[in-house]
Amino acid sequence: MKSFTRSVRTLASFFWFVGRKSRRTKVFVLIGALPVLMSLVIQANRLFTPGLSVDGPVVFSNIVLTFNLQFLILVLALFYGTSICAEELEGKTLTYLTTRPVSKPAIILGKYAAYAAFLVLVVAAGVTLSFLVLHIDRLGDAEAWLVLLRSLGVLALGLLVYTAFFTLVGTVLKKSVLFGLMFSFGWESIVQYFPGATQKFTIMHYLKSLLPAVSTGGEGSFAFLLFKLEPSSPGAAVVTLAVLTAAFLGLACWMFSRKEYLFED
Amino acid sequence: MPISEQGYTHWTGTFAERRFPWWPITRLGIRMAFKRKFFKFAFAVSFLPAVIFAAGIYISERLEDFQFMFRGRRGSTTFLEVNPAYFRSYFGGDFLLFMMVMIMVLAGAGLIADDLKSNSLQLYFSRPIRKRDYLLGKMSTLAFFLLLYTLVPGVLFILLKLIFAGSLKLIAHYPWIPLAVVLDSLLITLFFTFYTLLISSLSRNRRYTAILLFLVYLFSDIFFGIFYGIFRKPGFCLLSIKANLQQVAAALFRVKPAFEVPWIYSFLILAGIALACGLVLVRKTRGVEVIR
Amino acid sequence: MMAVIRAEKLSKWYGNVLGLSDVTLEIGPGITGLLGPNGAGKSTFMKLLMGQLRPSIGRVTIRGADVWNNTELFADIGFCPEQDAFYDELTGWEFVVRLLSLYGFSRADAASKAERALQFVELTKDKDRPLRGYSRGMRQRLKIAQTLAHEPGIIILDEPLNGLDPLSKRKVIRLIKEFRDAGKTVLVSSHVLPEIEALTRSIVLLHQGKILAQGDIPYIRDLIEKHPHKISVKSSDPRALAASLVSQASVQNIQFGPEPGTVVFETGDRDTLFGLLPRLIVDRGIEIEEITSPDDNLQAVFDYLVGT
Repeated sequence: MKSFTRSVRTLASFFWFVGRKSRRTKVFVLIGALPVLMSLVIQANRLFTPGLSVDGPVVFSNIVLTFNLQFLILVLALFYGTSICAEELEGKTLTYLTTRPVSKPAIILGKYAAYAAFLVLVVAAGVTLSFLVLHIDRLGDAEAWLVLLRSLGVLALGLLVYTAFFTLVGTVLKKSVLFGLMFSFGWESIVQYFPGATQKFTIMHYLKSLLPAVSTGGEGSFAFLLFKLEPSSPGAAVVTLAVLTAAFLGLACWMFSRKEYLFED
Repeated sequence: MPISEQGYTHWTGTFAERRFPWWPITRLGIRMAFKRKFFKFAFAVSFLPAVIFAAGIYISERLEDFQFMFRGRRGSTTFLEVNPAYFRSYFGGDFLLFMMVMIMVLAGAGLIADDLKSNSLQLYFSRPIRKRDYLLGKMSTLAFFLLLYTLVPGVLFILLKLIFAGSLKLIAHYPWIPLAVVLDSLLITLFFTFYTLLISSLSRNRRYTAILLFLVYLFSDIFFGIFYGIFRKPGFCLLSIKANLQQVAAALFRVKPAFEVPWIYSFLILAGIALACGLVLVRKTRGVEVIR
Repeated sequence: MMAVIRAEKLSKWYGNVLGLSDVTLEIGPGITGLLGPNGAGKSTFMKLLMGQLRPSIGRVTIRGADVWNNTELFADIGFCPEQDAFYDELTGWEFVVRLLSLYGFSRADAASKAERALQFVELTKDKDRPLRGYSRGMRQRLKIAQTLAHEPGIIILDEPLNGLDPLSKRKVIRLIKEFRDAGKTVLVSSHVLPEIEALTRSIVLLHQGKILAQGDIPYIRDLIEKHPHKISVKSSDPRALAASLVSQASVQNIQFGPEPGTVVFETGDRDTLFGLLPRLIVDRGIEIEEITSPDDNLQAVFDYLVGT
């Protein structure tokens, strides 16, 4: 067990280092900064258009969070999750990993840890900066900071579970990006609005169940996000998300250990 | 009689000048696209709007036969009036534009990315092919598909309407429609071609370029939706690729656009993006990679 | 000789295509060459050996342990893959050091081992350049560096001399021989027969997924009865030499070679012929300038067995 965790740690450090040096990392950092740009544009418009009744906190919860929750984390998790297996196959570098004394599950988990950490950092930085920009005139509002912390938690959890899901998809399917796009912008976008128990078949349902407004019983700022939501309890949501993450990763590790991967010549 | 040596001999003939040196590249690109399983499905589904609109043209000339569809709904057949707005609805349709992006993702994401990955550019440019032949070949691959969904159905709609109506009423009332069909098809084709090829040339990783292609299109529309939702300023439509295409389509077909923004701004933005894409693309496609 | 690598009735199918069929062999310490034409099954065997593929039938073991999903074995194995693939974002130094970290070496240990490996392959000067700026030869040398950096006891090399210049090739061949002398087990796969010959006399020849021959090159050569040995003799009077030996039962065929003074004898009994030649020199006064065996080499073995 000790050597397994050490392998995971070493691999996580390896891929954190490799990822840091990659050109596309800079692109995704910029993509993660899009909400900040959006917030700056909105604030600039507020400054130069007097009488405009746009509330920073409302924009933050209705728009920045929506954008992050329903688009950004899906796209980031899709790319990085599927990359865990796919980029080693495309780059033909899988051999360097599988001919080292590290178990195959450790490769998956180590890479997942590195990528998930990076994504959480990118999204957290973007959301926090957006928060600062949109709350520039009320930074002393403790409740707003709690909303931020809660939102960061939800987004981080979302990234963990979606990245785990797409890790499994990338391990099993060759055309993982297409499936991922259909899942993210088809299934997740549509079924979450279905009534009753059906919406519980989406990951988004559980994430939205954890949003601050749901737990405090209010709607207000988050009305848009909570449209047709029949929330699960926060405890159940967290447990479900944790179980899903573990299940997806477990399955991915199992598949990766059993599957034979051939490079395309 | 002299005995010829059965070994290597240098060919002393002359090369035939190929009229379209880019054609083999186009042909290969189209063939490779059809080899992908998902592509065939997307290719077929993308014809859905054309089929529906063609059916609509038929129904518009046989309204009395299809009254059962509109029973009890007065004035509900106005949407079947085949006029410039009908054509604009097709060319500016959300579903059609989305499916064209999907076709670009499936057929275009790897057009240059795969060549970069396999170092094929050196092979291409060691043949008597100029850079413009290479780019033209790649562009023609995409143009083939894009025109199949724009120009071909557009011309077909006009012909079908003329045939079913049994008169030239459509052209007589709206003489600008044929030109608008051609121009709008060319605009959509050129824009998406440059856009797709630029993104394909940005990386050797086809998965990455596929996601970028989809992402830029999607996010441009999302940002427009967000800013318009907050500020209600129609000018924000200039942020969205889709909205810009729809604005120009409205201007070409001489119908009221969705947003009160001069169409020329949308056109300039699309042209500017296409031009920028073209300039970067020409720089990116080199036989030799310079490592810094 | 204790077998380090053992394959027992090893077979692998890719769908309906047979990659490897009923391969049983043992490889012990020393250098063993794995050769065969394209599609023979060399890559399949290498992949099975390195745990990239699971056997359809049979098993392959290293030091008695099954390879599939047994990554602990790789602590003492160095593998040089055929593919020219790297993490292009890294420098040469980072590539070797980071891969060494996967063995559990401390940072200091990994650094010193990497330094030594890069020094050996003469990449110290270029170690801080990004890999995407490396030439073909440099990339191949880097692959060898990552294979040897952790000082393994078993070394598996898939086309290791690809892209190397002659000096580098000699150096790598010398190093591989040093491993042999140190009692390590080396398996080298190559298409280039002279390179294998320069490394070892012990070969495994694969053809159409099966083992065609295995063992010492001269021993295998001797067993190929269908192709008698050719002995080329250059002398001052080739016709007199030919006339002297034509009546010998051990001589099956005589041809005059393209080079002046050369006569080529085909014989099923080399030793007898070699015994006769000195007598001719003494008794008949025929001057002999050169005696060679043009087909006593790996190329000939390959050609005769695989057939053209």
